[in-house]
Amino acid sequence: MPEVVKPIPATWCPGCGDFGVMAALKNSLKALSVPTEETVIVGGIGCSGGIHNFLDGYGFHSLHGRLLPTALGAKLANPKLTVVAVGGDGDGYAIGMGHFIHSLKKNVDITYIVMNNETYGLTKGQPSPTAKVGFHGNLEGPFDAVLTALSVSSAGYIARGFSGAPREAAQYITEALQYNRERRGFAFVEILSPCVTYNDTYQLWRQQVENVEKIEGYDKSDRAKAFSTVLQVKERGKIPVGQIFRVADGKGAPALDKTLLPMVERSPAATDISLEHNLPKYQKLLASLG
Amino acid sequence: MATTPAASTTPVQAPVPTERVGPPSRPTAPLRDISIMIGGQGGDGTLTVSDLLGRYFHAQGLYIYTARAVLSRIRGGHADASTRAHVEPVWAQKPVQDVLVAFDDDAVKVGLKELDPHGFVLADQGSVKTEGANIYHLPLSITAASKVGNGLYKNTVAYGALSALLGFDVAAARGVIEKRFGRRGGDALNFNLKAFDLGRDLVKEAGLPTPLFTVAPGSAKDHILISGNQACALGFVVGGGRFFSGYPITPATSIMENLDKMLPQFDGIVRQVEDELGAINMAIGAAYVGARAMTATSGPGLSLMTEAMGHAGEAEVPLVIVDCQRVGPSTGEPTRHEQSDLLFVVFASHGEFPRFVLAPGYASDVFEMTVQAVNLAEKWQIPVFIMLDNDESENTQTTPGFDLSKVHIDRGKLLRQEELDKMPAYKRYEFTPDGISPRSVPGMKGGVSQTTGNEHDEWGHVSVNPENRRKMMAKRMNRLELAKPDLPAPHLWGDEKARIGFIGFGSTYGPIREAQRDLKEKGVPTRFFQARTLWPVPKEALATFLEGLDVAFVVEHNYTGQFARLIRQEMPEAAPKLRSLVRYDGLAFRSPDLVHPVEEFHARSR
Repeated sequence: MPEVVKPIPATWCPGCGDFGVMAALKNSLKALSVPTEETVIVGGIGCSGGIHNFLDGYGFHSLHGRLLPTALGAKLANPKLTVVAVGGDGDGYAIGMGHFIHSLKKNVDITYIVMNNETYGLTKGQPSPTAKVGFHGNLEGPFDAVLTALSVSSAGYIARGFSGAPREAAQYITEALQYNRERRGFAFVEILSPCVTYNDTYQLWRQQVENVEKIEGYDKSDRAKAFSTVLQVKERGKIPVGQIFRVADGKGAPALDKTLLPMVERSPAATDISLEHNLPKYQKLLASLG
Repeated sequence: MATTPAASTTPVQAPVPTERVGPPSRPTAPLRDISIMIGGQGGDGTLTVSDLLGRYFHAQGLYIYTARAVLSRIRGGHADASTRAHVEPVWAQKPVQDVLVAFDDDAVKVGLKELDPHGFVLADQGSVKTEGANIYHLPLSITAASKVGNGLYKNTVAYGALSALLGFDVAAARGVIEKRFGRRGGDALNFNLKAFDLGRDLVKEAGLPTPLFTVAPGSAKDHILISGNQACALGFVVGGGRFFSGYPITPATSIMENLDKMLPQFDGIVRQVEDELGAINMAIGAAYVGARAMTATSGPGLSLMTEAMGHAGEAEVPLVIVDCQRVGPSTGEPTRHEQSDLLFVVFASHGEFPRFVLAPGYASDVFEMTVQAVNLAEKWQIPVFIMLDNDESENTQTTPGFDLSKVHIDRGKLLRQEELDKMPAYKRYEFTPDGISPRSVPGMKGGVSQTTGNEHDEWGHVSVNPENRRKMMAKRMNRLELAKPDLPAPHLWGDEKARIGFIGFGSTYGPIREAQRDLKEKGVPTRFFQARTLWPVPKEALATFLEGLDVAFVVEHNYTGQFARLIRQEMPEAAPKLRSLVRYDGLAFRSPDLVHPVEEFHARSR
């Protein structure tokens, strides 16, 4: 085997929440024995977006806000791959917001992890779309991606973790990857990942997180209930975390890649494009134009 | 038309006959070049008549060029289409019309100005009030409504009437309807055949002389009638393209629509996505994992794609981007013709990276060059642009059947697993003599790598090392020089000894070739440099071309003479011989637009 690129040590600040997310992702990939060569990590721009440099596997550093269409293109062209898109809240909920909604809608079998720190860390602490009113003079109310995701009818897997609880986070990611592997569709996992330099919320968030799955009578396959519970928890001043929604087995929108490419071996990237292989069909195609 | 300095005057229009009174005199010999314009309100089915006529003449062995919305001088819902048929190859609209089919008065008002003195107007009685010696009113829509049961069949009634007035072979003319509507099933075929027969009856009942004139048969064999966008879609498929993502935009949409029908048969995928940002980045993702990928758009979409172009350049991801140009800037004139994106495409996106910009001139050229573009993108691992323009994208033309035996698939340095297994080390951005690094794609063992839009070292790790930066820039930029032998060579047309030249790209090929033909008849020989690679500028070939010339008219559809500027920038020594000939009113050049300035020059230089 050739010598290949080695992961470099993470360049994050010591204590950054992203370490917890990375550990969780690493453990999940390991737990599911995803082969390195079939792992594709697509990173966005921002601190979190560098994660592909720190992990084993094929890495792709995309443009700011464009990691989702890039990741979807990769998965649609070769559904055998395990594709994980990882970016920050600025990348996903500001500049890339359109793609976020449409990726939920498209329902392609990838896992999208957003490390939410409520700030733009790399550019030194400006408020992000999830920032609280008052943070660095922020005048705009925060955006909640979980509620948005719940409102897209094809969204079938929605979880929110906290990097201060990496075991749970890893569990959500593992299940998300498993959900993809079963070709059930897009999995969205937001992980609260404090920025120790510009928005150190560890202590605060540790007190505020509330796992909805532990609320009596919570049914994660009930979208309406999930929506109202998330709202209620927020109204109590808490942050709802947990596996918030998971469409019941046998239900839910079909995964787009499964619909388009029922057999993973026959994909745009894998198909034989030689002239010899296709000639009779090309001739037929040309004849149909007559 | 403006001559240098560019864009100082409004375009010179082709000479058009004035309205005449008195009995028309019809041509006695069969016409060797006929153009029929059909005008009416949108929804009148002008395109259907144009299409049927095109199919009929095509079956008669004639060369066809069809255009839609050839006139834009009327507001409101006016729509028109024209079909030209010629015994010799044609690539452009005829400067005058021989027949006008008018479904309303606007169509007459506009069309009469373009009508040849020997021509006639077939007018829909009741809808067209204008009278005239050569205007024949027949109750097309009334007959369709009362006898077929739906006024919409007036278009096929008109086709039937024309078939009588122009002495068509009846069986062949009916055959065209059978071919066009037979597949649909239901009553469509029978109703259309009935409408056709009723149209013929109308001519007989009106006591019109038949035929008024006829059209000479042609000898074009094994040709197909196809638009540039169709040819592009086909070229992409045959070139091994298997992934397309796009966002609907005129006049690029039909590439996506055509591919949507074709690609699923070949394990390929077409996705219509949320915007052009998504379109290009999704194509990049697909290309990254080894699928041959393309996106197509027009100016506004291209503007949105610019950041990602540079990303593909820096990350060395093979990608084909088609720009079907229309009138800009901003929303401009979405259905009109222009070639004003050239400098934008050559320089778009921040920073510097290599790209190839190709411009095919006619349908079979589009096919061949799209195949070439997907090969070039993968071989040189950079973005490749194909520039089309509105008329080239949308208008159909007769073209020789595509030659599949010439097609080859060149995947460049894409590694096979067994090659990768033998490598001591795999570096995605390894320095090599030609700057192209062997490429593994996700899924391949031992090829794990980092692909990035950051400046990077050979491994793909982010790097700001100055020496590495110099080497990486050279690695990428050298391709512009090294790839030259690989890039589509210009086509040279006309008289090798001529002192007057044309330089053009894209669909100006058509009017230039026709102008050459017309000028030859007038005793003015010309040569034509059909540029097929626009960037890098084909300097050596241009220098050779210009050597024996007194002047070269650079013909293009934009205000500022962009291609002429680009050539002057790259070859200042060529400047004295270049004259810009531009048209930017949304309409395509016709031969006289080009003949006049050349004749003037020719007369002066004697």
